[in-house]
Amino acid sequence: MLEYAWLIPVFPFIAFILIALLPKRTLGWEDGCGYGIAGAAGAFALSALVVWEVINGRTLLPEDAPRFTWLIIGDISVTFGIWIDELTALMLVVVSVVGTLVVIYSAGYMHQEGVTRRRYYAEIMLFISVMYGLVLADNYIEMFIFWELVGLCSYLLIGFWYERPSAASAAKRAFIVTRVGDIMFMAGIIILLKYVGTLDFVTLFDEGGTQAVPADMMTLATALIFGGAIGKSAQFPLHEWLPDAMEGPTTVSALIHAATMVKAGVYLTARSYPLLVQSPESLMLVAVIGGVTALLAATCALAANDIKRVLAYSTISQLGYMILGLGAGGYLVIEASNPNGYTAATFHLINHAIFKALLFLCAGSVIHSIGTNDMRLMGGLHKKMRITSITMLIGALAIAGLPPLSGFWSKDEVLAAVWHAGEFDWTFTLLWVMGIVTAFMTAFYMFRMWFMTFAGEQRSDFHAHESPKTMTVPLMILAALAMGSGFALFIGDGFKTFMEGSIHGLLQGVHHESPMDVAVEIFTDPLTYVSLVLAIAGILVAYRLYCMPGFDRSVFAKGFPGKVQRALENRWYISQFYDDFAYKIWYGFSLVADAFDRYVIDGVVNGFAYLGANTGGKMRKAQTGNVQRYASLIVVGIIALLVFMLYVLPWGGW
Amino acid sequence: MINIEYWLIFSSLLFAIGAYGVLTRKNAIVVLMCIEIMLNAANVNLVAFSSYYTTLHPGLGADASGQVFALFSIAIAAAEVAVGLAILLEVYRRYQTIDVDKINILRW
Repeated sequence: MLEYAWLIPVFPFIAFILIALLPKRTLGWEDGCGYGIAGAAGAFALSALVVWEVINGRTLLPEDAPRFTWLIIGDISVTFGIWIDELTALMLVVVSVVGTLVVIYSAGYMHQEGVTRRRYYAEIMLFISVMYGLVLADNYIEMFIFWELVGLCSYLLIGFWYERPSAASAAKRAFIVTRVGDIMFMAGIIILLKYVGTLDFVTLFDEGGTQAVPADMMTLATALIFGGAIGKSAQFPLHEWLPDAMEGPTTVSALIHAATMVKAGVYLTARSYPLLVQSPESLMLVAVIGGVTALLAATCALAANDIKRVLAYSTISQLGYMILGLGAGGYLVIEASNPNGYTAATFHLINHAIFKALLFLCAGSVIHSIGTNDMRLMGGLHKKMRITSITMLIGALAIAGLPPLSGFWSKDEVLAAVWHAGEFDWTFTLLWVMGIVTAFMTAFYMFRMWFMTFAGEQRSDFHAHESPKTMTVPLMILAALAMGSGFALFIGDGFKTFMEGSIHGLLQGVHHESPMDVAVEIFTDPLTYVSLVLAIAGILVAYRLYCMPGFDRSVFAKGFPGKVQRALENRWYISQFYDDFAYKIWYGFSLVADAFDRYVIDGVVNGFAYLGANTGGKMRKAQTGNVQRYASLIVVGIIALLVFMLYVLPWGGW
Repeated sequence: MINIEYWLIFSSLLFAIGAYGVLTRKNAIVVLMCIEIMLNAANVNLVAFSSYYTTLHPGLGADASGQVFALFSIAIAAAEVAVGLAILLEVYRRYQTIDVDKINILRW
């Protein structure tokens, strides 16, 4: 069964081809949505079968995997194949569930778009297809190709409303900023190729593969590969593209910028674990970047007034958690042969995919209904949009980390792993503090958003209505999943034991925890209660500031006092710094280059041209038109020639 | 029998006189005449070398090819003068002068 997993991306790809090429009148319902749902559902069904096989303990052995050779360059052969283990299965769940639900939801959300829907569905199907390809890739080259295709689709979809200048520039920005990361990724895999001679995971992750690379080069290569993850997963300092990417349709934000594409960076980091654990320095970089991003993005979310931007910053912040968990988990693997960090981060990955897709789709439902993103203009929607309101409340509770919703389990596991890594390096204790502060902020800004949107009085003139069934049904499914997915920790052998499978080669004598042990551990750990109390405190502060009857309304205008408020609204000036950097420094450099081109390069060319023209101008004065002068010059010339031939040449010895 | 050197000196003088006239005279007719003188200097050379060749190789008998070329040259010179005078007539008709210094429109 597993060897047919390569068919998974084929379904959405066929849908893409059909939607893109079929004559217009055969597109059917919603300009191709039917084909889209069919393609996504086909892939979903096949993914479900594959995941079922993996849950039952069957992974695809590399020697059984179907693969074909694409290129042979000297001794290096580039093959395409598939790689299925527990991590792949996890990503398949994310992509298939969220992808299918988003396509269904789009039928309602994109209804008013008219003929451009065809382009939308074609691009969405291409995106889902290449995302499956990325997840299934069995070597870095194949992964890189799909990685770039994912970036391309992201560009196309962010710029879906390309008539708007802001959308067009956001698309370009996303493409260019992630490209910085992609270049680093490419440099990293080139280093690996140089030392190991192949990029197949099966060889690279083997003892022989990891030993072939010198330690310092391994640090460089892993740090560069993680650079790719920084770009794709919008980690500091390359995180600024994600909030801008909210210019695309909300469904795109949910699919790409919450659930799948930005997870590709985390997936890459998790996939490269066998390499990363060879280099503690890289792991430290991973952890620090993750921790800083989590905190920084959370602070930016505090002051955002655009409902989608709040969610975008929260996405960045949660991705920071996952990266932090992976970094800390690597230390645990090295020092204690303990997979907790890895399992916690991957667990947070799937939980976050579900509740963040839910939150984005709820936000989409609100925007669809009242036609604005600005939370200052909303309020009082709870009465009008009950389903959206309740499902979004579930999402907010999940991300804030209240039990028994999914976010509680995974966030707590991540923080616990970071705390335990603190035993081996004090930096992790600091990062844990940042993580716990982020947890507080997360609860605060999510409920600030919920209260501003759904609670209180209506603050502007709009007629809200509940969204159609195609939109609310996916919301309810996702809400149910967001409530339930946390219990994956306790089903069967438990999620931890399951995820250990994909890195068991790195662990020696691992002690399997039964689900009961995990539960006991969570509830006897005082740290659990610290984060829980902080989350509740965050919600209460949000209630006090934004919802309590008779609260000061000017708080919407004022927010935090003075400088801090301004800094938060300007996202710590990072975006501005990039603009200034581009405008002042880079523009200055460009001016110098331009001057060099204009004066030196062009100067030489023009100089030659001028020399020719000028000399010609001088020389033509010799053409006097006086025949006798010509004749006398001929005579002089002949005499000179004769003298030369008769006297100079013989004298010279010829 | 006159030595060939005398003929050569004579013809080079003739050529120099003709060349001098071509280069210095303003009247186009005179220039044309001077060209004739230069041509005739060449003809003298041809005839002189023809005769010299016969005296160098007595066994071969008389060889008239040099003189034939001189005749050719004279015939061509006559044609050339005809063409030249025709051009001068046209020039005069257009510019009312045949001063070669004035006819300098072929210039920059």
